[in-house]
Amino acid sequence: MPFVPVLRAELIKIRTLRSLIGALAAVVLVTAAFSALASAAPDENDPDPLFSAFFGISFGQIAAIAFGTTAVAAEFRGGALRLTLAATPDRPRWFAAKAAAIALPALAVGLLTGAVTLLVGKAALGAEGPTWAEGLRGAVGCALQLTLMALFAAGLTAVLRSGVATLSILIPFLLIVSFVIGDMSSGIADFLPDRAGQVALHSSWDGPLGPWTGLAMCALWSAAALLAGMWSVSRRDA
Amino acid sequence: MTSIDVHDLTKEYGTRRAVDGLGFSVRPGRVTGFLGPNGAGKSTTMRLVLGLDRPTGGTATIGGRPYAALREPLRRVGALLDAGAAHRSRSARDHLRALAASNRIPGARVDAVLEHTGLAEVARRRVGTYSLGMRQRLGIAAALLGDPEVILLDEPANGLDPEGIVWIRTLLRGLAADGRTVLVSSHLMNETASFADHLVILGRGRLLADTPVREFIDARVQPEVRVRSSDTAALGELLARHGHDAVRHPDGAWTVRHTRAEELGRLLAQEGVPVLELAAHEGTLEQAYLDLTAAEAEFTAQPQEV
Repeated sequence: MPFVPVLRAELIKIRTLRSLIGALAAVVLVTAAFSALASAAPDENDPDPLFSAFFGISFGQIAAIAFGTTAVAAEFRGGALRLTLAATPDRPRWFAAKAAAIALPALAVGLLTGAVTLLVGKAALGAEGPTWAEGLRGAVGCALQLTLMALFAAGLTAVLRSGVATLSILIPFLLIVSFVIGDMSSGIADFLPDRAGQVALHSSWDGPLGPWTGLAMCALWSAAALLAGMWSVSRRDA
Repeated sequence: MTSIDVHDLTKEYGTRRAVDGLGFSVRPGRVTGFLGPNGAGKSTTMRLVLGLDRPTGGTATIGGRPYAALREPLRRVGALLDAGAAHRSRSARDHLRALAASNRIPGARVDAVLEHTGLAEVARRRVGTYSLGMRQRLGIAAALLGDPEVILLDEPANGLDPEGIVWIRTLLRGLAADGRTVLVSSHLMNETASFADHLVILGRGRLLADTPVREFIDARVQPEVRVRSSDTAALGELLARHGHDAVRHPDGAWTVRHTRAEELGRLLAQEGVPVLELAAHEGTLEQAYLDLTAAEAEFTAQPQEV
């Protein structure tokens, strides 16, 4: 079976669910809004101009995760997956198409989010804002990070076969582990997917990972989740 | 022509055998009714045929090839498994568009099957607003989307109103008349009798019968004749004299077993017994099925565990 028709089918599925469009809209709005708030009152003790501008990604990525989760979880309801796999019996190929259909709109929306957030941040921070060079890196990093988190959630949902299970693991994980354990910084927390990816959104960093190695680390997590999801979908009875 | 061939098919879930050494063929040009009580393994067998579940043993092929080896399978095989497969928040049309795209089925087919299943008017409404009967119709529309030569429908009449039941009967007969291979599962006997030419009957995952409907009924149910006379006493005396196995009903009518209306009518005319009613009662599929399962229960009284 060729790949493109399967991808087209999966893109139609994404486009025609209002909850998914809503989640993508929330990525832009939430990231920009929380960034604007943070920029209006930047952290005086530890000013990081770039992260002040991109502070909202911590919240925007939750919408990105909801997007990736919902897109996959829809297949695990009411026997939808059976119909899907009857149409596309090549399961790895189907799952690859599903991942691509999640990644493409997530990346497009991520780039838009990065651009809007950067502009809002620069406007709000003025002279204390990030430079254009690091701002550009932040915008691209923001897009990649949001895409990778959506894919990470998509893979995990395929393993758990449930959107509720995925969200009830990932959201507390992001909110608690990242904010609480993450603040102790250093060590293992730096290698967690969201922390690693967000190095790209900082003007300066002192951990073992830099902006691009951090994103690569995050990509490894997403790839692992997607491979596990593909394995699970391929191996189990539908 | 394309047949479904199931050979020595077995599926175990843990220690339970849902399908147990099953073998049968579904031939084109007729409707094959797939019968059995709930839990007999009908749905599991269909999932195994479609390559959705992996068999513990044996094979299931369509036109000699496993389902997973088909290119663009919706153009060859259409299936209704779950009426709930369409997402509640998506419109029927968008649901079918996505399916069509995956198998490069022209968009015009989407509108054609929506028209064919009577959903054209509501095609842009969210599936969540549909009744169960409308969702069933959408499932059937999805099965017909690729104009397939093989069609598998799991309990398609579920939730359909009487009009819908007549519609699906006509639809199934039409599909078989086109020369397609049609397998339709049901646990409703009268409904199945109204559209099936051939039967495959399961019990506890095993094949109980694979036979034409007519032969199945004739072999298992003796025909009866119902007869009523203005002279009930004379009729009773006559039946007794000729040694007929007859039962008298409270309304004065008699049911006579092991005879045919032609035979009894001639006899009554000869003897000059006035006849008010003389009706042949053909055996029903339900009677034949109950006869089969009663016989089967004697052999499988204890639960079938591996």
